[in-house]
Amino acid sequence: MKWLGAVLIGPSLWFAVFLGVYGLHGLICGQWGAVDTGGRAALIAAWGLGIAAFLPVLRLLPAAPEHSIDLPRAGLWIGLGATVFTLFPVTITSSCG
Amino acid sequence: MTDIPSPGQTAPADTRAATVHIPASPAQRALPLHRLLSQVWANDDGLWGQITAVSHTTLGLRFMATAFVFFAIGGILSMLIRAQLATPDGAFLDTELYNQIFTMHGSIMMFLFAIPMLEGLGIWLLPKMLGTRDMAFPRLTALGYWCYLFGGLIMLTALLFGVAPHDGWFMYTPLSSAEFSPGINADVWLLGVTFVEISAVAAAVEITVTILRQRAPGMRLMEMPLFAWYMLGTSAMMLVGFPPLIAGSVLLEIERAFDWPFFDPARGGDPLLWQHLFWLFGHPEVYIIFLPAAGVMSMMIPVLCRTTILGYGAIVAAILALVFLSFGLWVHHMFTVGIPHMALAFFSAASVLVAVPTAVQVFAWIGTMWKGHPQLHLPMYHILGFFLTFVMGGLTGVMLAIVPFNWQAHDTAFVTAHLHYVLIGGFVFPMMAAATYWMPLMTGKRRIKGLGEAAFWVILIGFHGTFFIMHLTGLMGMPRRIDVYPDNPEWIWLNLTSSIFSFVLTIGFALYALDLILQATLGKRESRDPWGAPTLDWAMPIPSPNYNFASLPTARHLGRDAGDIIVPLARGEGMLPGAPRGRREILVTSVGDATPDHVAMLPGNTALPLVLSSAICVFVLLMLASLYALAGLALLPVAALIWVWVRGMAPQGAMTPVEAAPGLHLPIHHRATTTLGQSGLMAFLVANGTLFSSLLFGLAFLSVVTPGPAAPPSAVSAAQVLPAFALLAAALVLALGAMGWRRAGAAWAGTALNLAALGAVLWLAVQLENPTAHTRDALRAVLTGYIGLHVLVAAGMSAFVADQYRRGEISPEVPGAWPSCNLWQRYTTAVTLITLAVVIAQGVIT
Repeated sequence: MKWLGAVLIGPSLWFAVFLGVYGLHGLICGQWGAVDTGGRAALIAAWGLGIAAFLPVLRLLPAAPEHSIDLPRAGLWIGLGATVFTLFPVTITSSCG
Repeated sequence: MTDIPSPGQTAPADTRAATVHIPASPAQRALPLHRLLSQVWANDDGLWGQITAVSHTTLGLRFMATAFVFFAIGGILSMLIRAQLATPDGAFLDTELYNQIFTMHGSIMMFLFAIPMLEGLGIWLLPKMLGTRDMAFPRLTALGYWCYLFGGLIMLTALLFGVAPHDGWFMYTPLSSAEFSPGINADVWLLGVTFVEISAVAAAVEITVTILRQRAPGMRLMEMPLFAWYMLGTSAMMLVGFPPLIAGSVLLEIERAFDWPFFDPARGGDPLLWQHLFWLFGHPEVYIIFLPAAGVMSMMIPVLCRTTILGYGAIVAAILALVFLSFGLWVHHMFTVGIPHMALAFFSAASVLVAVPTAVQVFAWIGTMWKGHPQLHLPMYHILGFFLTFVMGGLTGVMLAIVPFNWQAHDTAFVTAHLHYVLIGGFVFPMMAAATYWMPLMTGKRRIKGLGEAAFWVILIGFHGTFFIMHLTGLMGMPRRIDVYPDNPEWIWLNLTSSIFSFVLTIGFALYALDLILQATLGKRESRDPWGAPTLDWAMPIPSPNYNFASLPTARHLGRDAGDIIVPLARGEGMLPGAPRGRREILVTSVGDATPDHVAMLPGNTALPLVLSSAICVFVLLMLASLYALAGLALLPVAALIWVWVRGMAPQGAMTPVEAAPGLHLPIHHRATTTLGQSGLMAFLVANGTLFSSLLFGLAFLSVVTPGPAAPPSAVSAAQVLPAFALLAAALVLALGAMGWRRAGAAWAGTALNLAALGAVLWLAVQLENPTAHTRDALRAVLTGYIGLHVLVAAGMSAFVADQYRRGEISPEVPGAWPSCNLWQRYTTAVTLITLAVVIAQGVIT
């Protein structure tokens, strides 16, 4: 069961970061109607924190036994890749419209 | 990623046996074993036997057969649509009827065909593939079937009487709100589909538990058949994907019935909330449908190519990625509603990214075919049809993921073409392949050659003739769901061509059905394991008996050709041979390594699922008739029947350990630490928690995004409600503490404290402001109702435990319902405290 939980860490982290940044964006647009410099900085910071959150987990995750598939680590890489790719728009798009 | 071959071939059998030391049972004569097992596991005779059947073999087949009937009905409706669109001024259907027909076509194909078909396939196939005798909760399987059937019949009956849903299969508000859809049409959809979804959630719970807890000893997770991985992903998605739709449907039905304004912008609501909730379900739904189909592909392709699967690990990782990414795509159905550009970019990127794990699977299958020796049997025809069709659908999906293109093609026939390429390519072709592949196991018969191949070609030509052209029609601007197009002569020939080929497609499906019927009725007897497959599903007699295996396979049986282990298993050399105690016994194993944990006794044939689903059906019908007070009363028999249901799990007979294999004595489930029931409750709570999260999402969305008027100042002061808050929280925390005692007195105390908490909820409820005034008040009322319902159930569960003490069914070794009661109490306390914190933090009550 622990192994299954470890498998879910990476994608779950992505989902949490994705929803967090999406929610933050909604909050900024809802409150101020535009993503100004401060708003963008907050979004980029949230994205960066999300990416950074993967790094200690990648280091701490024990290596899989030899000859077995390291699905937990694969899950982490999936989550990290998805976090980088799906949220990179925080750096280039701007509009709340 | 390491290339792991098909299950059981990762490591030699002796290595597995070293992992799980289970000695072989002594060989017995096969026939007496078979007779004894048949006596215990068989359905009752005649029609009564059909009503009381709980066997996964019977119900899985029945699910699939019923789904196929609904597929035929949905197909007939599509013919009516195409007949109407064959000419620009079609007078075949009037607009109202046309609206009902396209709505019902989509709803039937999604909710009454695709989902139940995959449920049926999983229910029928998983126990056979995992090496067990039935699903974890046989009565729940039956309940799910009856709910599905009754819900489907309600919707069909509405169509016959001309009051079917007519707002599209996605039921967008405000079109589906009471103002613009005043009849019962929308209610039929909301109540009917929610009724059917009981079946989906039930199936998801038991598929999850069966895969995690009932695998053959030694079948570790990373070595189980890929189909099981796909179904585990599917069931997890169903547990998380369906609750948002259930939440949305409940809110919309409450709005329609009682005028609580969740989606009305004039009173603080927002129609977009419905779209979010619907597509939070709706997009994962596509993958819920696709994953089982991909699962059967992953099982069939290696066998039909005489090789092993390429990239087992990569495929499992791809499933993991798909399961999660599919929940980050829902907004791509809403690209045109005015969402901020940055949010569009998030979801566009996620929609493009999801093509990667999909492609990993497609390349793994192609690679498997490349390294093997493909044999062009009939299932392979459909597999090739899948490749051609699904890849094209996937590519148009990537096109639609790009926002500027999406804006152009949105709501046109291009999208209709895309979704049919994905759903027929990604689900129907694999299912047709699967049916022809597993028909010998279902019927014991060999197919009659020729007709199936002809049917395939007719279907393939008919399909592409119909839908490829529809891409062009869409690109030329034809919107979806219109019934006439008198001012657009440029669409005439395209539509006529689509209509003609659609009839070819229908003829193909009819030939396919005829082929299956001929095989089932006139086919010659097939030999066992006709494909030479290395999986357990073929290591049994054909057609498969209800009990699947005379003795349960162990590590030494895994990874070998089915033909080699049929006889040892039939002679009782596996675990739990026969049915010497006259009970339906299965082996429960641990989640990770599948080591034997305990023996569970499954319930026998019973009409209770039918009776309970009938009681729920009465409730649904009374709601449809707007007899809300009576509908509330109709919940009393439902509650009573649930009590009877749970009473049926009381310990019966000897509770001594069972010798599952020579020298291996296992406790029966009444004395086990973590039973299947507790695992099932945990899975259910995942779904329940998602429903709760959906309500909180609605609260957050409407608080932040809604353009409607702000809520008026509340007339209820904090001083008025804080005592009720405090009483509620204190009563629940104390009840949770009482659970730790594990004594009769604690059960009674838990009941009393939960009743006190219920009183606090009622106290809160009477202080709530009119929920029709503003969304804020409506959401507060809904959350209060949600908590009240859970507290009521917690009180009922505590009372049930107290009753178990009274009957002497609980002892230090036999925990009875305590663990489940405790789990529910924890959940109830948690959601209550979260709700109170959210409401206070939000400053809703001033």
